[in-house]
Amino acid sequence: MLSLSRRWLRITPAVCRFASSHAHSPSDSKNARIMRILEKRIEERKRLSSELSHDMSSSADIIRLKQLKESEPLQAAWDEYTRTRQLLDETTALFEDSDEAMRALALEEHQSLSTSLTSLISSHIPSLLIPPSPTTHLSAMLELKSGVGGSESSLFLADLMRMYLRLANSRRWHTSVVSQNENEGGGIKDALVEVKGDGAYEALRWESGVHRVQRVPATEASGRVHTSTVAVIVLPLVEETDSADALFSMDDVKIEVMRARGAGGQHVNKTESAVRLTHIPTGITVSMQDERSQHQNKRRAFTVLRSRLMDLKISREIAERRATRQSLVRTADRSEKIRTYNYAQERVTDHRIGLTLKNLSSVLEGDGLQDFIDALQKDHAESVLEDMLSAE
Amino acid sequence: MASKLLSILATSLGPTQARLELKWMQQQARHPAQLTEMVTRRSRGEPLQYILGSQPFGPLNLLTRPPVLIPRPETEHWVIKLADRTSASPTSPKSLLDLGTGSGCIPLLLCHLLPQGSLRTHGVDISPQALDLAKENAAVCGIPPSSPGSCARNTRNTFTATLGNFLDPMFSEDATIDPPYDIITCNPPYIPWHEYLKLPRSVTAYEDPKALFGGPTGLDFYHAIAHLVRQTNFIRPGAVVALEVGHNQAQDVERIMRVHAHVRDTEIWPDPWGKQRTVLAHL
Ligand SMILES: C[S@@+](CC[C@H](N)C(=O)[O-])C[C@H]1O[C@@H](n2cnc3c(N)ncnc32)[C@H](O)[C@@H]1O
Repeated sequence: MLSLSRRWLRITPAVCRFASSHAHSPSDSKNARIMRILEKRIEERKRLSSELSHDMSSSADIIRLKQLKESEPLQAAWDEYTRTRQLLDETTALFEDSDEAMRALALEEHQSLSTSLTSLISSHIPSLLIPPSPTTHLSAMLELKSGVGGSESSLFLADLMRMYLRLANSRRWHTSVVSQNENEGGGIKDALVEVKGDGAYEALRWESGVHRVQRVPATEASGRVHTSTVAVIVLPLVEETDSADALFSMDDVKIEVMRARGAGGQHVNKTESAVRLTHIPTGITVSMQDERSQHQNKRRAFTVLRSRLMDLKISREIAERRATRQSLVRTADRSEKIRTYNYAQERVTDHRIGLTLKNLSSVLEGDGLQDFIDALQKDHAESVLEDMLSAE
Repeated sequence: MASKLLSILATSLGPTQARLELKWMQQQARHPAQLTEMVTRRSRGEPLQYILGSQPFGPLNLLTRPPVLIPRPETEHWVIKLADRTSASPTSPKSLLDLGTGSGCIPLLLCHLLPQGSLRTHGVDISPQALDLAKENAAVCGIPPSSPGSCARNTRNTFTATLGNFLDPMFSEDATIDPPYDIITCNPPYIPWHEYLKLPRSVTAYEDPKALFGGPTGLDFYHAIAHLVRQTNFIRPGAVVALEVGHNQAQDVERIMRVHAHVRDTEIWPDPWGKQRTVLAHL
């Protein structure tokens, strides 16, 4: 372990040099901050390994080993960083070389080393530093509600739903439409879709908000462009078996059946399976009537309730983090208009990141949506990083 | 097309129910003509469950076929609650008798919900059609019959069913009945004569009157059950008798169990609609 510490001490000045000599642009100072965080993590690693007992006898050793294992990629990145820096220094020394060919070679080499160093610091290392999100593995519950625009909004809702089902299919998530209400004049009034699979929530959560469409409705003879909206709410899906029971106590949930049933029992054979749950402390209510059995409706309603409560918990945690430090992490305001689908101009714009894709059909029918999601996830990762840096 | 079918259904069911039922029929119909036929049958008053041929019951999906009584949500509710309250394990397996088993819904759901190898159930019914359906349902749910030679331990929960008449005073002598039992369940016919006349057509025109009629007062079968419970060695000490009752019969049935079956510990469970629905007698 001594050798590690000596090596670490030796390269420290390099970091300082890097920080001071290049700290001209804001991105350089950001890079310096990133490297300071990495240094801290490497120090922690060093401490951990020095605390390991020789014979691995203590039970704390297991935990330390696990932590060391987890931070191995950080060590690898650090090693690569120091190696690249060293090579850079060596090539810089060759700038003074008497041989012209050698000088040219050194210049070329220096350029390529700088490029790798930059990408290491600005993208690879940050991705390792960002703490894994607790919601990484969660599935999602997608709720679509038609907004302004009458039937046209319902028609657009059906388009959006197809878009999400297609995305889920290509990401190999499993979907099931929990409930769906058709609109008399075509389209879908509202729908609830379960999207099961690793990363479904992490990807889809950025879809929460108001989606706006501008197009000439198929039903509009005059050819006038209408604007209508659909509200999308994406909730984390919590399986019954997850440790979600802490989310609520059964005593806090009022379960009601929706209709009077007269004498009931053998006297009546009408299907009356609608169920409504009320979570008394939060006032959240969930109604479910799409299944033919009360038991199934109740289960589904509980799934939705768990999702809502989980969502509440997540936003509460974000708010708390925000309160404790000046966080830049944005919470999704669900009434916020997040995206516009403009048919006449064949373009889709995401207003949060100011990204426009000039190919509407690729968003609705191809990979365009994934591009938006990637950009939004990247944007989010950056703000988390910003947040982390400002907390240092 | 769909809107025409919807309006046909809505006249008899109201708009909300019509929309739901049409959706369920659409999910099942293989072609438009079949959907139209389903809607026509429904608008004439045939129960949805017979048209679709099945009814979910807890996590099970049971077959339904006229004239066998369609499992009711009230029954589903108390059976799930009974499963929650029953402690059975493969090391102390329990034996259950279901009187008037109909579709087999009560014992089959209990078999499904309780730990495997902890429950052996037997259903009795006077109707051969009910018996056939109950056995088919057991097969559909993957619940096997118990191996003959009752001493053998089963690794699974089991269901068997035989023809029988539990109003018969000699019922307990029947060779297929194997007392003592730890649990008796029964949803007996409980509709009294005067209420039978006021039942909706979807009940009287399609479901077996023998499954509904409980004699002049609706209480005949409870007296027969009290008689059985009182017989020596018919049920084990510590056993429980769970009886579904009509909307205003809980007090009467509780009294019958106390006075005629000499049970001191009784309990009444309400259904989700607030009606007193199940009388429990603890022995
Ligand atoms: C109300 S249904 C209950 C069916 C089923 N247990 C349920 O809960 O859906 C009553 C059942 O008792 C049966 N039954 C009527 N009289 C009977 C008798 N004397 N002996 C045995 N079963 C009888 C009927 O055939 C019918 O299947």
